[in-house]
Amino acid sequence: MSHFSAFPPSSESFRRRPAKGGRGASVTHDSAEQHVTGAAQYVDDIPELARTLHAAIGKSPVAKGTLIQLDLSQVRTAAGVVDVVTIADMPAVTDIGPVYQGDPILAGPELQFHGQALFAVAAATFIEARKAVALAAIQMDEQIPTLTLEQALASGERVRPDHMMVKGDAKKALASAPNTLTNTLYNKGQEHFYLESQVSYAVPTDDGGMTIYTSSQHPSEVQKLVAEVLGIAMHKVTVLVRRMGGGFGGKETQAAPWACLAAVLAVRNKRPVKLRLDRQDDMVLTGKRHDFFSRWTVGFDDEGQLIGADIHLAGLCGFSPDLSDAIVDRAMFHVDNAYNFPAMAVLGQRCKTNTVSNTAFRGFGGPQGMIVGEAMMDDIARATGLDPLDVRLKNLYQNGDKTHYGQPIEDFHIERLMTQLERECEYRQRRHDITEFNQQHPYLKRGLALTPVRFGISFTVQHLNQAGALINIYTDGSIQINHGGTEMGQGLFTKVAQVVANEFSVDLDYVQVTATATDKVPNTSPTAASSGSDLNGKAAQAACQTIKQRLVDLAVEHFGVAPDDVHFINNHVVVGVGESAQWLTFAEFVQLAYEQRVSLSATGYYRTPKIFYDRDTASGRPFYYYALGASCSEVEIDTLTGEYRILRTDILHDVGASLSPAIDIGQIEGGFVQGMGWLTTEELTWDAKGKLASASAATYKIPTSMDVPSILNVRLFDQPNAEETIYNSKAVGEPPLMHGISVWCALRDAAASVANYAINPPLDTPATPERVLAAVMACQAHNEGLVAEQIS
Amino acid sequence: MIRFNLNGEWIEDGNIDPMCTILNYLRTQMAQTDVKEGCAAGDCGACTVMLASLDNGQLSFYTVNACIALMAHLHNRYIFTAQGIAQQSLHPAQQAMIDFHGSQCGFCTPGIVMSLATLYQQRLQQGIDLNIVPSDHDIHAALSGNLCRCTGYQPIVSAARHMGDYPKRDCAEQVQAAAVVEFDPNAGVSREPLQQSASSQLFMPQTEAELIALLQQYPTAQLWAGGTDLGLAITQQFKTMACVIVLGRVQGLSSIEIQNKQMSLGALCSYSDVEQELTPRVPSLAELVQRIGSRQIRNLGTLGGNIANASPIGDMPPAFLALGAEVEINGIYGLHTIALEQFFTGYKQTQLRAGEYIRRIIFNLPQENDHVFLWKISKRHDDDISAVMFALKLSIENETIIAAKLALGGMAATPIRAYHVESGLIGQPVNLATFKQAGSLLEQDCSPMSDVRASASYRLQVGKNLLLRAALELTRGTVQAEVAS
Repeated sequence: MSHFSAFPPSSESFRRRPAKGGRGASVTHDSAEQHVTGAAQYVDDIPELARTLHAAIGKSPVAKGTLIQLDLSQVRTAAGVVDVVTIADMPAVTDIGPVYQGDPILAGPELQFHGQALFAVAAATFIEARKAVALAAIQMDEQIPTLTLEQALASGERVRPDHMMVKGDAKKALASAPNTLTNTLYNKGQEHFYLESQVSYAVPTDDGGMTIYTSSQHPSEVQKLVAEVLGIAMHKVTVLVRRMGGGFGGKETQAAPWACLAAVLAVRNKRPVKLRLDRQDDMVLTGKRHDFFSRWTVGFDDEGQLIGADIHLAGLCGFSPDLSDAIVDRAMFHVDNAYNFPAMAVLGQRCKTNTVSNTAFRGFGGPQGMIVGEAMMDDIARATGLDPLDVRLKNLYQNGDKTHYGQPIEDFHIERLMTQLERECEYRQRRHDITEFNQQHPYLKRGLALTPVRFGISFTVQHLNQAGALINIYTDGSIQINHGGTEMGQGLFTKVAQVVANEFSVDLDYVQVTATATDKVPNTSPTAASSGSDLNGKAAQAACQTIKQRLVDLAVEHFGVAPDDVHFINNHVVVGVGESAQWLTFAEFVQLAYEQRVSLSATGYYRTPKIFYDRDTASGRPFYYYALGASCSEVEIDTLTGEYRILRTDILHDVGASLSPAIDIGQIEGGFVQGMGWLTTEELTWDAKGKLASASAATYKIPTSMDVPSILNVRLFDQPNAEETIYNSKAVGEPPLMHGISVWCALRDAAASVANYAINPPLDTPATPERVLAAVMACQAHNEGLVAEQIS
Repeated sequence: MIRFNLNGEWIEDGNIDPMCTILNYLRTQMAQTDVKEGCAAGDCGACTVMLASLDNGQLSFYTVNACIALMAHLHNRYIFTAQGIAQQSLHPAQQAMIDFHGSQCGFCTPGIVMSLATLYQQRLQQGIDLNIVPSDHDIHAALSGNLCRCTGYQPIVSAARHMGDYPKRDCAEQVQAAAVVEFDPNAGVSREPLQQSASSQLFMPQTEAELIALLQQYPTAQLWAGGTDLGLAITQQFKTMACVIVLGRVQGLSSIEIQNKQMSLGALCSYSDVEQELTPRVPSLAELVQRIGSRQIRNLGTLGGNIANASPIGDMPPAFLALGAEVEINGIYGLHTIALEQFFTGYKQTQLRAGEYIRRIIFNLPQENDHVFLWKISKRHDDDISAVMFALKLSIENETIIAAKLALGGMAATPIRAYHVESGLIGQPVNLATFKQAGSLLEQDCSPMSDVRASASYRLQVGKNLLLRAALELTRGTVQAEVAS
């Protein structure tokens, strides 16, 4: 069990011992011990203050309608109930849309999706509140809802205008291409299924303000919205996030409504109020990954070389814009994945439906775009009879190419990465073995796919690419660091602590990261877009450097040495050189600095360089750099039932110079499994009335330990980032999710084997056993057609 | 009054509401927040705790989902939480989880730690050398009810493999020090409720005589076996039951007997109880049992409960139908036996009358000429509910099918027998054509519906295709007859 005690006194052996846990060290998560003992506190675990109330949400019983009467008299008189609020009871602002308007904090009179929050109840206990909400008598004029992408595309309903990205003349290119093919793909959405559901605890303060403990990736937005809803200044609201039980994008905008409602109830009742959504409510009330319906025509020559493509991407946004503009943009940015399309036209459509407003989810639209690019590669391979890997390798971007949004391709080593993986996982031999296996087995068929990932790093909204940090050094040499990023399990706090330990060359134990707090570092960006360590690591480093400079100045003045002769080494500050060098422990030096009246607290700030993007012309450099990787998956399907197993996956992933290899590998494995779940077992279903039918863990199936490939090899591609990121590392949060695409491609490959790879089997996602069987049957129908042809 | 030992401390509480779950009590009454709520439906495992019970001198350790188990289940038992196994130093399961980077967000972690610690402790109880790495099968079975959304499980599985590397820890010592006794020998026949509130009372009889006496007094009482489905009525629908009779402690209802090539399984046998006994005798049934729910659910859920619940998507009813099982019923109308195929009368409707309970399930063990195929089709391999449950028993002599029982789940409002398909098989030679022909009769036996798990057409197609799979397996010679050993 690690703990802080004073620095040991300086001795020869202590001077020689390198500081533990700096950059590049595989350290454990900073909360690992609290996790395994259950001591780690999540919001619902915080000891409750006296008279705390528990809130629950009453929901719309229809997908579309106008409220005629909302009779809450029975709710108000139910056991334990203290307060009930509707939108009419909100003190100030009622629209809490994060970027654009359109998200009423409570519905009414318009009802816009089945399960939309309609009223909130505060009661003495959680169970009393949950029981009470069922007693509402709701009268409304029910209308016919728009529930599907197909309906919204037909009716033209949008939450935001359509947008185009264009490179060259796609129409002309397609007309000139020797071969074209047209196909479609429907990707269903994905439930975040963070294990800790949404929760906020609002505690009124004595100055008319509010302290909010919440599970949010975006504390500053919670602060702003709570202030707006209460009608008070932001400086009256403090938001704290120590940790989340998972986020995955689902707590970027979706945490705020519950914080705002808890705050309103807390103000009205002058009591602390906790609002925790139970699992079913969480699944119904909060947005998910967007469904996408994609259509494309791609042109290519007989050798499988790309000539051009015309692509339509339609995202199912739900009833409000939320972040859908940027999410569909990111799908458009990533539709090329790693491939150079000489000409391309991409249309992005943001369809409006009477369903929950879809939101950020790890990858942020990127996965839905990227899978289209990969589907095209497989389609071309089967059209030309080439191995899909050869089609992929042949079409890779080369340095100097430009994307369809004008960003130049630089430092692009994906070919080396892919061929290294191809060699290490013995792709060619296994392709041969699979062909033999498939010829022999009467009903089991295997498939193989090796797919790349190229994911753009930066918020595409430029102003979000900034971060701040606050560092405090105490007189015993211990260091507190605070920054704008939130910890949702990804190990950000650990990585930032490693940066600080590294800057001062002290043991990691001496660095404590404290809860994200809007009163320590203000105006922060959400912890999203994989940017957590890129932005906050750099901000923390800047804060460290400010204090380091002060310490160096002190040494120069106090010891009369040159600035270059002051070094931070192995838990010491070394002043002077050679024989005369003085070794002071870091704590001794800090004590000296305190006595010499040097400030031991500093802020740090960082903004990402080089990036710009003009959305009007759809061109620029939206991404500072790209994270790269590739994965190879082998599957076995049962052509009688569509059941399958993933036999093996190999991943080679580029994290630049890893800040923390164990944490990075954890992100890669976890991201891959989450992406695999999206494309295989996780299926959202709605009934004909627009009610979420898969609203529980009993009906919505994320992967279990059994579903992970029995062989899963993950390796880091060891090459520093050419851009000057924190210690030349690369972001790692989202990119690995898209390694799941290799599983989908392998399933499609296995199905295609049934028709000797002559056709492209339809395989919308998630590729449940039912859809895999349908793909197999499409191949069988093709075979029967061939037989019929031969007979006639 | 409920009496239980929590992490070393005896707690007696006479004011616990009968509807109170273990999780609710621990978190709201004991501030035991190391036990997490992830789904409150027994599906995610964040609330997993380790229980120890001492029955007839036999100390056993098992996991349950605290979210759906009633407090009554804890009575006279010992409960460990993640905090409780870390009292002096970290448990090997905890240290290994740290060292192998098994936690990211940490929310599922206490539950995972308890599943791993229970695997460790069960191996200790069985006298297995802890230096022997547990098999992947055992690790996945232990983790089958624990969802993790962050790690992808790889580091957790690594931690499970390495628990033996750390200094030995024996949780039995703590339980023995606490002097846990499952049954109170002086209790005698009691008709007093174990728990009572203004709206509800709960009884926990220890003998069948006591149970029947209670049923005479409260014939409409809600019988509670494992409660893995009933628990959801409390946690998802917030229902209150006026009178509950918990069956778990009734002695004699969880015995397993084999006589005259017949197997008799007590209705209160949990899935975990029967797993080992079935493995050598009806391997296909043992394999099926391992795909029911999760380890935690298999520890609580009972065979009798699965049958009495009469869900069309229960996994055991089709299997028992194919095996030609009978159910023995007892209660206020006396002891009698009926064939399982007569038992189910409609959606969640059975022949069981108010005041009756299932005593045991009896079936003939498969013989030399018998082939049993029990196939569960679901979206996810572990911890999922069937889209289609296919149960086929064939007797084959001289390459001819002389008897066939095909039972299906997920295809109708009740578990059904497919009599038309059966008649298409009986008397026919074992070849693909026979099974294909018989499969074409499936629509005459059922017309399934489309729901969240599968479409009607997929269900029918899979039903037919599984007949083909059986044929292919039989004709390829890859299957051995299932013989009682």
